[in-house]
Amino acid sequence: MTTLLLPPARLLLRLLERLWLVAVLAAGWWFVSADSTSVYFPALSAIWDALVSGITSGTIRTDVTYSLTNIVLGLVLATIVGTALGILIGELERLRQVLDPFLQFVRSVPQSALIPIVIGALGIGQAPKIYMIAFACVWPVLLNTIDGVRAIAPEVRDMAKAYQIPHSLRLRRMVLPAAMPQIMAGVRVSLAVGVVVMVVSEIFSATVGIGHFINTAGSVFDISAAWAGTLVVGALGYLLSLAFIVVEKAMLGWYFKSAGASSGGATTRTRGKATK
Amino acid sequence: MTTAEHLDLLDERRARHPLAVKGLSKSYGEGSTAVRVLEDLDVRVEPNEIVCIVGPSGVGKTTLLRCLAGLLAPTTGAVMFGPTTMTGPILEVGVVFQDYSRSLLPWMRTRENVSFPLQGKGMRKAARRALADQCLNAVGLPDAGRKYPWQLSGGMQQRAAIARALAYQSEVLLMDEPFASVDAQTRFDLEDLVLHLRKRLGISVVVVTHDIDEAVYLADRVVVLSGHPAHVVDVVEVPFGQDRDQIQTKAEPAFTEARARILGRIRR
Repeated sequence: MTTLLLPPARLLLRLLERLWLVAVLAAGWWFVSADSTSVYFPALSAIWDALVSGITSGTIRTDVTYSLTNIVLGLVLATIVGTALGILIGELERLRQVLDPFLQFVRSVPQSALIPIVIGALGIGQAPKIYMIAFACVWPVLLNTIDGVRAIAPEVRDMAKAYQIPHSLRLRRMVLPAAMPQIMAGVRVSLAVGVVVMVVSEIFSATVGIGHFINTAGSVFDISAAWAGTLVVGALGYLLSLAFIVVEKAMLGWYFKSAGASSGGATTRTRGKATK
Repeated sequence: MTTAEHLDLLDERRARHPLAVKGLSKSYGEGSTAVRVLEDLDVRVEPNEIVCIVGPSGVGKTTLLRCLAGLLAPTTGAVMFGPTTMTGPILEVGVVFQDYSRSLLPWMRTRENVSFPLQGKGMRKAARRALADQCLNAVGLPDAGRKYPWQLSGGMQQRAAIARALAYQSEVLLMDEPFASVDAQTRFDLEDLVLHLRKRLGISVVVVTHDIDEAVYLADRVVVLSGHPAHVVDVVEVPFGQDRDQIQTKAEPAFTEARARILGRIRR
């Protein structure tokens, strides 16, 4: 909460606190691998060179743009579809009971395993990859949304009934915000799933993308470049999760703040129940 | 709209119709496993009256209140508002829930919480806002509109919940154990607020409570429920009129008498 207005000195300290381990590990890797003669574990300096040349004269920038577009579009698509369907299924208990075995089944299927089939069916363009990411990411969002909707307190539902809140208004202003913490937790899971599917989908029959970059480098035994690509994926994942945190804070400000403010309220609530 | 017009809106909320249950029974479940909770109840709330419903824990007080609110359909019998049979929640009957911390929505500011039901009625934003502010004023929360519910104390949250019911233009307020989870002083303040609102706005109020002192202090009539299934075992008239005082009223012999009678009824 206080991160917004930190004095520069404390900000610097915070940053150092977060970065020191990364720096130590990187330095360790650098020195330990310095004399490496292994083909598969090249020196970090070689990987670094491959990364720099990949960025300056190679295709990494195009690849990253392509991959990033895919995952962002896929994730947005999955979030919209997952939330909408999740609210529908969560609200209609009968529908949920009918769909439950199916949802549990689909959730258990490893999404990456479907990639060859989807690409075979839809082709090798960009759109099939986006759909593939969306398809993999939709399940955590969907299942979390259903749980979130079902967890809405009966008091809230009574309130909506007693005050005759119309359906659309209720869904928009009560159900959606009430389920939002769970929805965001689902998106967080989807983000990790999405990164994996993004890379894997580019390994199968692609001409561009960071997964394609890694795959191509590996197949011509340019292991340093493959490592460089992997590091880029890691950095990409980290940046995406940072962006996610910003979005989450913006959407769930009330949630984090009320959790901090009402720790006393929870005990009041239990007491109220007990005295009834 | 001017403020004066809204003042009228709030002042003209005089209850005109009695709210009554006639021969009401309620069972949960079906067939041989059905459990009868309420048996053949007749309760009538006259306009501008405060009626308290007391009874031992688990007797079905809340079930009765939910039937009065139109949230539960009676198994037999009917809930009548004036001459019409209620088949669901209606505009004229507002509910203040026991668990205010959950019935107020934490993602809306207090003013929005109060005005939100009005949005469903299609009232314009400026009018909603003005009415919400006025209702918050009426319950003694003039400065809480911009705060979130979780920034308010328990007593203030319950005041906000009352404001929401008032804003909804209810002539009858139904309150389910409304002050069960606030401290004693806050409780007294809220009881006096209910008496004040009844006098000022001319509304009727039904309060479900397990606290006999509270029931006698607030009510014109106390309805005592007991037994399984629950039925009305006594109706106690309380003769204190509209103006009451926490110290004086509670010291009156009639207060002690009513209290003893109700307690005897519940104990038996």
